[in-house]
Order: sequence, then C-alpha cells, then structure tokens
Amino acid sequence: MYKKIIIPLILISGVYADDDRWGNRNDVAPVKNAIYIKECGSCHFAYQPGLLPQRSWTKMMGNLENHFDSDASLDDATTKYLANYLKANSAEKGIEYKRSRKILQSIRPNEVPLRITQTRYFINKHDEIPKKMIIQKEVGSLANCTACHTTANKGNYSERAIKIPNYRAWKDD
Amino acid sequence: MKKYTLAILLCGVIANAGNFSPSMQGYIAALKSEAKQADSSFVDFNAKRGEKIFTTKHIGKSGDSISCTSCHGSNLTKNGQNPTTNKIIKPLGPSVNKSRLTDIKEVQKWLRRNFKDVYNREGTALEKGDVLYYIQSK
Ligand code: HEC
Ligand code: HEC
Ligand code: HEC
Repeated sequence: MYKKIIIPLILISGVYADDDRWGNRNDVAPVKNAIYIKECGSCHFAYQPGLLPQRSWTKMMGNLENHFDSDASLDDATTKYLANYLKANSAEKGIEYKRSRKILQSIRPNEVPLRITQTRYFINKHDEIPKKMIIQKEVGSLANCTACHTTANKGNYSERAIKIPNYRAWKDD
Repeated sequence: MKKYTLAILLCGVIANAGNFSPSMQGYIAALKSEAKQADSSFVDFNAKRGEKIFTTKHIGKSGDSISCTSCHGSNLTKNGQNPTTNKIIKPLGPSVNKSRLTDIKEVQKWLRRNFKDVYNREGTALEKGDVLYYIQSK
C-alpha cells in the first residue's frame, strides 16, 4: 500500500527537479492553464505558446472563425483572455527555453507564421522523416506532435522520448 | 411517495423530448419559441429530421464534402475522430457520455462552429432543435 504511493511521488519530484532546480531548460514551457487546454486542446494537442512568437498568436486570435479551414470562434471575453495568455507566454517570453529561442531565431522579422510546422527550425528538424511514417493513420500530419513525441504535453521534445508509431525508436543517423 | 409522483408528472410535462438536463430545458424552450415565431405551424422538434441533418453531406468550410458524422461517426455511442487532426472525440450520446448536452454554453459554441464547418452557415432554431433531439436520443 505505502510502496504504491511512494514510487509515483519520487517520480514526480524527479521531473520537477529536472525542470527547475537544475535549470535544465531544453524544451518549451509546459502549459498549465486549464482554460487554454480546454479551448485550444479540443480539436488538437494544446500547442505550447512558446512554440510561436507573439505576433503569430495575435494574428491567429484575430480570426478564429477562419482557423485553418475550420471555425474555432469563441465569445469575446474568452478570446481576449486567451490572446493575453498567449502573448504573456509566447516564444519571446520563454527565451530561456532552448526550443523557443531556436524557433524564434529561425523566423525572419517580417514573417508571421501561423503554423509551427512551417517555421524553419521545425522544418529542419523534421525533413528527414520518411513520408510514410507521417501519413500513416496513427499520425496523419506533422501537426500531430503527440503521435511521435510521447512527452510533448510536458513541453519535452527530447529525442529520447520520440516513438514514431509502428517504427522502432528514432535514431539520428 | 407523493413527491415522487409529482416529480414524474413534472418530467412528463416539461420534457416530452426525452430527458434533457434541467439546464438544457430552458435552451430547448427558447429554441421552440424561436421556431414557432419563424413558422406558426411549428409543433415540436423531431429526432428523425435531426438524424438527416446529422448524416447529410455538404460542401463545408474547408471545401470538402463532409457531414456531422465525419467527426462524430455514425454511432453516437462510440468515439469519433477529427479527420484533419486525428484527435479522438468522445461519444456525443448522453446515454454513454453523461457530460454531453448539459452545458448550454458548450452546446451553443459547438453548434455554431460545427454548422459553419459543415453547412457554411449557422443552423436555424428548427435545425438546432431537431439535431439536439436526435443527439439526446442516443
Ligand atoms: C474547432 C477546432 C479547433 C479549435 C477549437 C482550435 N483549433 Fe487550432 N487547428 C485546427 C485545425 C483543423 C488545424 C489544422 C490542422 C492540420 O492542418 O493538421 C489547426 C491548426 C493549429 C495550429 C497550427 C499547427 C501547425 O501546423 O503547426 C496552431 C498553432 C493552432 N491550431 C492553435 C490553436 C489555438 C491557439 C487555439 C485556441 C484559441 C486553437 N488552435 C483552437 C482546429 C482547431
Ligand atoms: C512523425 C513523427 C513526428 C511528429 C508528428 C512531430 N515530430 Fe518533432 N521530431 C520527430 C523526430 C523523428 C525528431 C528528431 C529529428 C532528429 O533526428 O533530430 C523530431 C524533433 C523535434 C524537435 C527537436 C528535438 C531535438 O532534440 O532536437 C522538436 C522541438 C520537435 N520535434 C517538435 C515537434 C512539434 C512541436 C511537433 C508538432 C507541431 C512535432 N515535433 C511533430 C518526429 C515527429
Ligand atoms: C470537424 C469536426 C467536427 C464536425 C464536422 C462536427 N463536430 Fe461537433 N464537435 C466536434 C468537436 C471536436 C467537439 C468537442 C469535442 C469534445 O468536447 O470532446 C464537438 C462537440 C459537439 C457538440 C457539443 C456536445 C456537448 O454537449 O459537449 C455538439 C452538440 C455537436 N458537436 C454537434 C455537431 C453537429 C450537429 C454537427 C454537424 C452540423 C457536428 N457536430 C459536426 C467536432 C466536429
């Protein structure tokens, strides 16, 4: 009985130690906002705000009725709330996280990408993946981060945690 | 005992359309009066008409021919899946998913979005009522 409780506790504290105490900030700030997870995680994975710059989020939130060919509109109060949340947590605000920094550096100042999957950093990291691994039904498209990155919902995209469905563990070279 | 009978009687009076949750009954009533205003011969919503709305394909917002079943499946007691994002959608049928059709704001939000996705316009009060009767029956 006690063993069952103690083991998960150790695991949890291990995760926190990795993030905060040791300053190991390789990935992106995880999402903790329940409203964001509910509203922006209903049709797809709730992408971390640190994956795009502020200007991208502002543009996206200005036209939720036409959101990638679907209607994602919200009432005004919720739209405003989430626009502020995204602004406050955009890539610029998470510059201590390696991924946010790299994505930001890969976007030209005049570009306002609406897709994470079309930023140069993202393309460079994913251009060696054979198409058949992406279009298979368990994945569908590269926008489906959680299909391959088993710890994406913690903001952790490390290579160790990549498992492409139906293929053996991913090895760079 | 007396209380019991009264409750049953009341349920029968208010909800001649299956058993919508108390919070939804006000919304259904509002849709009814809107439908009556649009057409004075309106009597009640109809799950059979709702099924047709739910399963009929139409060129939607994305330019593809889709229906409500493209995401929710044709068996509302089973999971659906968004064909674009691959995300699993829990069953719509209240008989297996108690949280469905309980929160008016959620229902209004999704009906607005989903009618636009499929029919490129908002649903009328009649269409919304019909489709809610259909979903409630599952
Ligand atoms: C009604 C469904 C729906 C809702 C709600 C929704 N989205 Fe989307 N989103 C989509 C679809 C569909 C796509 C396109 C997916 C694809 O092409 O694979 C998309 C794509 C995206 C992308 C681009 C992914 C890429 O390719 O890099 C981002 C970023 C995004 N959404 C953010 C948001 C945010 C932020 C919210 C909340 C305000 C939100 N979404 C709410 C349906 C939705
Ligand atoms: C088809 C599976 C797949 C999908 C879907 C996918 N990735 Fe990846 N991702 C990979 C692989 C494989 C790599 C490792 C590439 C390499 O060899 O360096 C990678 C690498 C990365 C890296 C760099 C990790 C590192 O250690 O250098 C980041 C960040 C990342 N992905 C984020 C994302 C995000 C965000 C999404 C969704 C918008 C996504 N990925 C979707 C397979 C995927
Ligand atoms: C593009 C995919 C898609 C299509 C097409 C679609 N829906 Fe939905 N629908 C969703 C998603 C996603 C949700 C919210 C998922 C969740 O809460 O698990 C939802 C939720 C709903 C809800 C809210 C139920 C509740 O109380 O939680 C209703 C009602 C609904 N849809 C009706 C419809 C009707 C009617 C149509 C056709 C006009 C339709 N949907 C077409 C994706 C879709």
